[in-house]
Amino acid sequence: MANLNQLTITEASKKLAAGEITSVQLTEACLAEIEKKNPSLNAYLEVFADALEQARLADERRALSLSKGLEISPLLGIPLAIKDNILIEGRTASAASKILENYVATYDATVIKKLKEAGAVFLGRTNMDEFALGGSTENSAYGPTKNPYDDSRVAGGTSGGSAAAVATHMALGALGSDTGGSVRNPASFCGVVGLKPTYGAVSRSGLIAAVSSFDQIGPITKTVEDAELIFNTIRGQDPLDSTSTENPKSEIRNPKKKIGVPRTLLEKGVEPDVLACFESSLEKLKGQGCEVVDIALPSLDYALSAYYIINFAEVSTNLSRFDGVRYGLSLKGESLFDDYASSREAGFGSETRRRIVLGTYVLSAGYYDAYYGKAVAAREQLRREYIKAFESVDFIATPTMPDAALVIGEKSDPLSLYLIDIFTVTANLTGNPAISIPMGTVEKEGKQLPVGLQLTAAHGDEAALFAAGKLLY
Amino acid sequence: MLSREEVLNLASLARLKLGEDEVESLQKDISNILEYVGQVSTVSVKSEQGPTLLKNVMREDLPVGEAGAPAATLGTREDLLKAFPKQEKGYNVVRKIIQKDE
Repeated sequence: MANLNQLTITEASKKLAAGEITSVQLTEACLAEIEKKNPSLNAYLEVFADALEQARLADERRALSLSKGLEISPLLGIPLAIKDNILIEGRTASAASKILENYVATYDATVIKKLKEAGAVFLGRTNMDEFALGGSTENSAYGPTKNPYDDSRVAGGTSGGSAAAVATHMALGALGSDTGGSVRNPASFCGVVGLKPTYGAVSRSGLIAAVSSFDQIGPITKTVEDAELIFNTIRGQDPLDSTSTENPKSEIRNPKKKIGVPRTLLEKGVEPDVLACFESSLEKLKGQGCEVVDIALPSLDYALSAYYIINFAEVSTNLSRFDGVRYGLSLKGESLFDDYASSREAGFGSETRRRIVLGTYVLSAGYYDAYYGKAVAAREQLRREYIKAFESVDFIATPTMPDAALVIGEKSDPLSLYLIDIFTVTANLTGNPAISIPMGTVEKEGKQLPVGLQLTAAHGDEAALFAAGKLLY
Repeated sequence: MLSREEVLNLASLARLKLGEDEVESLQKDISNILEYVGQVSTVSVKSEQGPTLLKNVMREDLPVGEAGAPAATLGTREDLLKAFPKQEKGYNVVRKIIQKDE
């Protein structure tokens, strides 16, 4: 029974159902791997001391459900890793920030409630960019997560810990959150599957908010099938998140075969070897009977600018709640203003402070119309272009990232790090679902590094992404 | 480039303290970033587009436990009290902000 942690969720689920293995064995295998690899990779910020106890309860529940003939979720007893911005009652949730270092969640996020109902085991909380601001997990207050393929490189971000944990079999699957690519970017850099669901498909109640009009919780897994399994467990409307919508499990009505490629966007700044991987995965899809056409999406030129303006604006607003008065880090100064400012100075990292200042700028009187107002208009225009595009194609395909994983510290200028989000931010602006699927490797300094293919589908059509993803991986 | 005073004013509006080096680097970084994202100013908003695709979602404002209210509680009183930086007799101790007229 060696290497149980290397199983996919689907495989492990079958073995659990057949009585060949137990959740305790699975969890022990993951914990052993964590002990071996986590000290160097820094994927987990905390491993839960009661993980084995959770697994034992899952095994008991299985025996009881079997004896009573109750339905058993495929996630019963499956050990998962959870991003540090998703609340689990009674456990620390710090969003990888010093300001929440001592914060203990008082309730379960809706996705956690659903996973508990299914009987999943929570192994620990994973590293991320502070408050999900970044794209490399270098902005964590607790040090960067290393890339499993080359420890001098980043794991991607912001859900870098979750992606690295799944890639190295320290968990069978994980939850991340995606604000501008935060599930798909580390999935691409670590060679795993990452899904950003349709805006509204998954409740964000209990997710520490970064950019409320972009944030979605999504699975990071070893296979497309596993991503589908987690997504179908956590999806659904929730009265605690008024942006969540009822979107009944979509069925594939007719096979989706037409793929649009925004060629003009690819001409700018994609590494040649990444582009070669992209072309060969398009060829593979053609071989499966897909048709590939060029599409024009003129408003894509504004996507990054619009994305970052809205990001800064909402981040500065959302993070104003951290003031040291009710919870989290609290420092006393000479005045009330000083209390706030000292707590926020000591609690927030430099990228977080930078975005708060930028958000304050773009929202201030005199600049609001030129920045935020225009960004919202560009977003609306882009969304309309996407809706129109999906009348003629079934998918939009791009590389997930323009390059393989960066060297730690490589992009010290903040703007240059923003620019690598070029392909991922669009799905957050338009609310479409998008998935990153491994599409091969490129060589960098003698090491093979994974890169991902991104497929975007029409609103609510995750089923099409899963079907197409399974053709490739 | 943004002036030192402009950066300090923004920080003060956002209730942030900044280190001396940070003010300097923010002057440069913010200007670069604003120059890039300023591209959106050339977006022309077409009038024929009609209303936004967004819509408001409303619900009744009901106390937890009442019919029609969300079923969840977001933590017990004790749990929430525990998170306070300083508490006394079940209250959060905060700084006195109202002064008597002299």
